[in-house]
Amino acid sequence: MATMTLEDRNKRTMFFGFGMALAMLGLGYAAVPLYDLFCRVTGFGGTTQVASETDAVLAEQFAASAGGVSYSIRFDANTARNMPWQFKPVQVTDTVAIGQRDMAFYTARNNSDAPITGTATFNVEPEQAGRYFNKIQCFCFTEQTLQPGEEIRMPVLYYVDPAALDDPNMEGVEQITLSYTFHRADQDPS
Amino acid sequence: MATTAEGFDAHHEDHAHDHADHKPGFFARWFMSTNHKDIGTLYLIFAIIAGVIGGAISGAMRAELAAPGLQYLGTFVDLLGGDGSSFDQQGHMWNVLITAHGLIMVFFMVMPAMIGGFGNWFVPLMIGAPDMAFPRMNNISFWLTVAGFLSLLFSMFVPGGTGMGAGVGWTVYAPLSTSGSVGPAVDFAIFSLHLAGAGSILGATNFITTIFNMRAPGMTLHKMPLFVWSVLVTAFLLLLALPVLAAAITMLLTDRNFGTTFFDPAGGGDPVLYQHLFWFFGHPEVYIMILPGFGMISQIVATFSKKPVFGYLGMAYAMVAIGVVGFIVWAHHMYTVGLDVNTKMYFTAATMVIAVPTGIKIFSWIATMWGGSIEFKSPMVWAMGFIFLFTVGGVTGVVLANGGIDDNLHDTYYVVAHFHYVLSLGAVTSMFAGWYYWFPKMFGRWHSEFLAHLHFWVFFVGVNVIFFPMHFLGLQGMARRYPDYTAAFAYWNEIATIGYMIMAVSIVIFFVNILYAIFFGKKPEANYWGEGATTLEWSLSSPPPFHQFETLPVIEEHHSADDHISPKPANA
Amino acid sequence: MESFETMNFGAFARKKLNFLALLALAVMSFTAVPQAAMAQDSEDVSLVEGAVAEPLETTVTEAEAPGFEYYGPEMIKGQPVSSDEDLLGSMTFQPQYTDNGDYALWMHDAILMPIITVISLFVLGLLLWVVVRYNKRSNQVASRTSHNTLIEVIWTVIPVLILVVIAVPSITLLARQYQSPPEDAITIKANGYQWYWGYEYVDNGGFEVVSNMLSEEEALDAGEPHQLAVDNRMVVPVGVPIRLQTFGADVIHSFGIPSLWFKLDAVPGRINEKMLTITEPGIYYGQCMELCGARHGYMPIAIEARPLDEFNAWVQSQPGGMTRAQIEAQEAGAAAPAGEDTVEVEGGRSPASSAEDAPLAGEPPVDQAAPTT
Repeated sequence: MATMTLEDRNKRTMFFGFGMALAMLGLGYAAVPLYDLFCRVTGFGGTTQVASETDAVLAEQFAASAGGVSYSIRFDANTARNMPWQFKPVQVTDTVAIGQRDMAFYTARNNSDAPITGTATFNVEPEQAGRYFNKIQCFCFTEQTLQPGEEIRMPVLYYVDPAALDDPNMEGVEQITLSYTFHRADQDPS
Repeated sequence: MATTAEGFDAHHEDHAHDHADHKPGFFARWFMSTNHKDIGTLYLIFAIIAGVIGGAISGAMRAELAAPGLQYLGTFVDLLGGDGSSFDQQGHMWNVLITAHGLIMVFFMVMPAMIGGFGNWFVPLMIGAPDMAFPRMNNISFWLTVAGFLSLLFSMFVPGGTGMGAGVGWTVYAPLSTSGSVGPAVDFAIFSLHLAGAGSILGATNFITTIFNMRAPGMTLHKMPLFVWSVLVTAFLLLLALPVLAAAITMLLTDRNFGTTFFDPAGGGDPVLYQHLFWFFGHPEVYIMILPGFGMISQIVATFSKKPVFGYLGMAYAMVAIGVVGFIVWAHHMYTVGLDVNTKMYFTAATMVIAVPTGIKIFSWIATMWGGSIEFKSPMVWAMGFIFLFTVGGVTGVVLANGGIDDNLHDTYYVVAHFHYVLSLGAVTSMFAGWYYWFPKMFGRWHSEFLAHLHFWVFFVGVNVIFFPMHFLGLQGMARRYPDYTAAFAYWNEIATIGYMIMAVSIVIFFVNILYAIFFGKKPEANYWGEGATTLEWSLSSPPPFHQFETLPVIEEHHSADDHISPKPANA
Repeated sequence: MESFETMNFGAFARKKLNFLALLALAVMSFTAVPQAAMAQDSEDVSLVEGAVAEPLETTVTEAEAPGFEYYGPEMIKGQPVSSDEDLLGSMTFQPQYTDNGDYALWMHDAILMPIITVISLFVLGLLLWVVVRYNKRSNQVASRTSHNTLIEVIWTVIPVLILVVIAVPSITLLARQYQSPPEDAITIKANGYQWYWGYEYVDNGGFEVVSNMLSEEEALDAGEPHQLAVDNRMVVPVGVPIRLQTFGADVIHSFGIPSLWFKLDAVPGRINEKMLTITEPGIYYGQCMELCGARHGYMPIAIEARPLDEFNAWVQSQPGGMTRAQIEAQEAGAAAPAGEDTVEVEGGRSPASSAEDAPLAGEPPVDQAAPTT
């Protein structure tokens, strides 16, 4: 613009530049919720889905027409290093028909002499199965507190979405590993 | 490069000289400097100091790696006030060395020299501007960088977990950098990146403003010298990439100190997200380091071939393309982190695409030389060395781009060899090319061309002896960031260390050449490279007046970027 | 008496005595091992049910059962090639012992290497030609050429074609590497700790083998390469698919074996999985490939690949180790009385060995990785 002085034009460009930098800074922070959302929607990184009872009923009805395909499910348990719990699945593997609801159990025991609150992270392998692995109920949705020496059984209610049958990426997948890791929720140094 | 600059008229400089050479006193001139040339000089001096420190650290690393076993780490630990007999502290010391070497070379040597040094010096000169758009902001940028460097150096003397200093690698991956490193060292290292990053963002804005608004009349974007183009693209990369790094490392800082859990799985965070954020910055960062080098090489090749750059527009937009594609390939640094097959295939394909604009640049440089009447002055020799070495570094990049191949090469010395070929042998070589190209222009004294040639050949031999054997070590599976190795790796490691010594000699020659210039250097004329040098800085005296272009030069309309123009040195 | 029984335990398995004997042992171990392991920990002897537990208690203490012998250094296959013995061999990849590794090696050697060599030499040749032909003396007057659309199109299109040539095997390789392991693949977890590896045999009773680096003297005494040799190797079956899962307990580690073309990060809070099928019996060395702190360079990996029957024998020599046959037999026995929802934690087939507590119970003896200067 001919009417603007060089100084004004420079200021305008500077604000444009700073604006761009600020926008990218915001995007950097926004990446945290966006990445989380992205993973939950697409199952990226083997993120599992959360399903309601109605979803599950629908899936079951849909699966009835799909025929008797089933997956082997492997249950995996880990604890972070500063977590003095013994955490393990009750069964190592199980076989479920696609769309069929199934309940699996994990046990956790607090081996320390103090009450400890734990929280679980989770993923499935192979990662493309994350989209189709639906949890209706899971101990990982909430924190768990165990008294010294206490042992509990924790259920997971899940099903595999019959839509997996239509996904070419799921071809050849015979077993899906559902993995949990328990971390200390109270971050005091152990 | 002959993109511009006939028809400019800088005779007014003569009349303005009295006023133009009025300089402030020493303190005001060098500590509160607002003059782009002085700030450029400060950046160059700073980069040389940082380069010597970073290079000395790599010397310590090569000494340690010369033979299996731990030889010197204990001594280094003792020097920094730790307990040299502690095995953990020795291992930690190693990690501090690799971290410091990486951060110093990236943030405090290459970036300040390329953008701060040469960019500050020659962008205003080449576009016919009197100075940068925001001279005081320019000064702030420089001192922020210095403060960042001091913060990084300081971090080496405070506890960082298993020893003194930040031993987390230049990538600062969580959770090693959060729960894995107790003590303030990592905080200081992160803070140093904040300072350097803030300085670079201010600098980038300054460059963008200067280039967009302050070009001399008649100099359209498509007539700009390619070096200016390269700085423009680099500035945009900085502006888009650095804030993401700032966000990521700020999150690290709050994870470390204020109980947030952005990257801590215990609180629902994800350490892999940090890697995504880091490499979203980190991949453009490697282009930030090399693009100004591309620009300088284009100028130099055209100058000494006495030809205009071949395919000017293709060259300019190849840089833009490299910059754009550079933002969508980041996960090739994370192939083994646990990506699904489709993600890995996408990043494999996208990464290989970068080879196309890079190839265009390489072939265009050769085509520029083709049919030329080449004078092998020292900058040209450095530039040709750059073209070959960068090609070698580039083709190993094509190997690494393949996700399936990278499964075996990831985090091995093959990767170390690759990125040193494009940076240490690429970016640094282009910086030396630029140094000898512009040294008499900047400092008003001739360096010794003989020493400059000697510097090149010793450096060329040295760096190849260091880094070529690293390909072999990497193929054999030798892991990066290891202070010790099994006997089978001894041979090539020893050779690499010999290479380091040769390279070190070349750096001595570099300094001798500076001393030569100070004590015996003749005064250069305005356009000492002759008819091939056609950009605006050659119309000014060497060194240029303290204030230049107080009357703006005019680029005549009928000249297109590709015209070959015989220079008309104004002040000759 | 106890040690005598133990010896038979391993020997039976190795000699592949009849299935019934195995079955009987399996049932015994199934009920007793977890308790025996616990008894070790807590010394709560009352939990141990006399006769059944008696022989097994000692299997826990004696990690290396007499029936199983580890490979000696003559079986080392995957290790860096010494330049003293084979200079050319020390300049390229280690020999590969997986099918995917062979394919990748072929792709590198037959496609990538020729292409990148030719490109580099081509550029070098052009530069040299320019030096000879277009120097100031040979060519006094510079041309003005700055455009040639045809050549610009050529040097854009040809690289694209070359990249397509590379992309085809590259995508094929990725697809192969990402084949899903079959349901009956043997699952082994590699857990990365600061600074050692733990190998968890989740399909074989859930015991965990803790693996630390040997000191230089120990390694050389054993005839193994220093910095790579470990005290307890990761024993795996050869020729059958392994579902290898990685997990990082504290920071990110990476499980990398150059001679198997395998590398997978061990990330805290999640597992990663890849299939691995080793084609030859032997020892394969690897190292941690992601910076993980002070002793990043001192947590090597040694894989010992054994034929399946020897692998099974080794599994049985481990505390709480059970072969697949044993587990199936046990399931058949357990199925009738115990419904899914009434499985008892202590008696279930879930892993409950003392090894699982190892990383929690205290620091493993990593000091042996002390400086070797």
